[in-house]
Amino acid sequence: MTREELTEKLKEIENKLIAIEQTVDNRIFLLCEKENSYAANKFLFEEVPLRFVIITGIDSDDCFEVLYHYAYDELGFVVTLKAFIRDRDNPSIESIAPFLPGAEWIEREIHDVLGIEFNNHPDMRRLILSDDWPEGVYPLRKDAKKPEVRPDGKPTRRSAAEMPTDRKVVPLCKPVLSVGPFHPLQEEMEYFQLTVDGEIVTDIDVRISYNHRGIEKISESLQFDQVPLLVSRICGICSASHPLAYVQAVEEIAGITLPERAMYVRTIIAELERIHSHILWAGLAGHFIGYDTVFMWAWKYREPVLDLLEEITGNRNNYGNLKVGGCREDIPNELIPKINKDLDGIEKKMNMLTGAVLDDPVLHSRLKDVGILKKEDAVKFAVTGPTARASGIAIDVRRDDPYAVYSDLDWNVITRPEGDVFAKAVVRFLETLEAIKIVKQAIKKMPDGPVAVEVKEIPAGEGCGHAEAPRGETFHYVRSDGGNRPVRHKMRAPSYVNVPSFRASCIGEYISDVAITLAAVDPCYSCTERMAVIEDNKVIHDWDALLGLSRGKTTQIKKDTGLPGIRMEDLEIG
Amino acid sequence: MSWKTWSLKKSPWVFHVNTGACNNCDIEIVDCLTPKFDVERFGIKLVGSPRHADALLVTGGVTAQAAPRLREVYRQTPKPCVVFAVGACACDKGIFASGYHMVGPVDKIIREIDPDAIIAYVPGCPPKPEAIISGVVKALSIL
Repeated sequence: MTREELTEKLKEIENKLIAIEQTVDNRIFLLCEKENSYAANKFLFEEVPLRFVIITGIDSDDCFEVLYHYAYDELGFVVTLKAFIRDRDNPSIESIAPFLPGAEWIEREIHDVLGIEFNNHPDMRRLILSDDWPEGVYPLRKDAKKPEVRPDGKPTRRSAAEMPTDRKVVPLCKPVLSVGPFHPLQEEMEYFQLTVDGEIVTDIDVRISYNHRGIEKISESLQFDQVPLLVSRICGICSASHPLAYVQAVEEIAGITLPERAMYVRTIIAELERIHSHILWAGLAGHFIGYDTVFMWAWKYREPVLDLLEEITGNRNNYGNLKVGGCREDIPNELIPKINKDLDGIEKKMNMLTGAVLDDPVLHSRLKDVGILKKEDAVKFAVTGPTARASGIAIDVRRDDPYAVYSDLDWNVITRPEGDVFAKAVVRFLETLEAIKIVKQAIKKMPDGPVAVEVKEIPAGEGCGHAEAPRGETFHYVRSDGGNRPVRHKMRAPSYVNVPSFRASCIGEYISDVAITLAAVDPCYSCTERMAVIEDNKVIHDWDALLGLSRGKTTQIKKDTGLPGIRMEDLEIG
Repeated sequence: MSWKTWSLKKSPWVFHVNTGACNNCDIEIVDCLTPKFDVERFGIKLVGSPRHADALLVTGGVTAQAAPRLREVYRQTPKPCVVFAVGACACDKGIFASGYHMVGPVDKIIREIDPDAIIAYVPGCPPKPEAIISGVVKALSIL
């Protein structure tokens, strides 16, 4: 579809809308009353069709606004349907979750934080607020206070007796396996409830909230220039992508053009982050299936990337290098030879690791056909990033709505059609190699010049920024009233849409396969092998000999099992 | 020094408790175990249950949902134990201090149930692996 065709298509529902606005070239806002939102959403998702991104709920002065963000990736458009709820006392709107399961979580969240009812929602349990959070206190409303400072003297937190069970009720005859909230393999707190029939998982439920820090509210109390430092701490591993999406949203509002070098610096930092994040995942994934050699190797090879980031930005994580209008720090030219040298080293190691992992028959039999996320499910749950690309959906914000300098560089979007865990691993490994390629080109082509422009005022307006984080699309919506801080700042991390897709990929799997499908659940933490076998102070097997032994064993297993290996050159990239 | 404290100082086993961190402190903790830093050389080992642990490595500024779980984990840890508040958030809620869902920091939650708890602080956002190791060594040397 061309631009004109898309605008024509959107005009088909004009009779349901109040207005169609276009803020910048590829951002369209459709305004409607809440009564028409269901039909309009169904049209946008099923007829056009657009990819669902997220919903933003806003407490405006005289009404509630519910913003449904969609993306049209072919053209890099963001289409936002803005529905107005005029009744402030009993706000309600029709739920879109029945036909769009990817919206289930966000509707529950908006119900928690703004108190908007979603009619006909399949599952309106509490999602984001804690068990002891009092009923009727909605933190994102403008007049909200912390429960501790309620003026009416009511008990401020729910007691244990008052707490309804937020767990999914399962008939007593069915065995339930609880995983979390603390689990030896989970870095973060999450609670999974697996209903099982023998070894087979028949249902899965997730309880979050453990990590909810209320960042959207904090952001409203910070100045535009301070927010990047906050959003880089949404997730420590995406600490370049979140600020990137945010500053792009603000730059869209203010119409700022960046100096060229700033865009190159942004690209380099974002790609270095992708390299370290993908290697980190590879290590953890290896760990979850009991392959600790990969864990230790991967994390060892990740260290030089962190050292590079530290030299460029001053910190191994939480780089804090982005600001509205450019970057805070430049990459010194004298560092460039070192970056190139280190990248060569990393590339060599990654080639070796990629070959070793993708060629391993044990991994083939362990990961292939496990946890398949079918393409149609991927669309329904609106997943992004490697999760989507491994299910055959070729979306990548870097290509679809190019930012920084991605459109000037030569690189590929990696996709695989299978949708299983192995495909996700392949996508991530090959993407790491692509990222190295991108950084190398960017360093070569980077022009001299300033890395920031001065920004004085952020005018009133609204902007949508998105960036491709290692895990998928990070989306930020910012609204400004012309003051010095955002009046509403919605952020959506890629995992928010990727996690609920477990419901499609885990049900019907074996318990032990759910572990790697969730990529976080496997109750085993063992130590790594040492590198040299020493007896009476004499080295019997050194590093090379051990490597040779383990390679020999892999070849033997391959021969014994007859499983085909996969070679790098056989993988189609496109 | 009692024999119990003395025994605690050798090869402490640690349990990692995330109470609402951004994952940065957590990956730096895991980083300590991987080849570059490799604290397992000193017998420092991440264990799967607080009942096996001598020390808790707590990250994050404690969200409302995490607070009761943190108390429970502390209750289950055999005493004496050392609580390490790793990172700016664990020390004083960091950048999230004004969040409506934050009830921490870590020392406040722990002291509610044990006023005499031994708490060590490793500030930084995130603290580098070197800082975490140095914090552990310092705390063990003054026990």
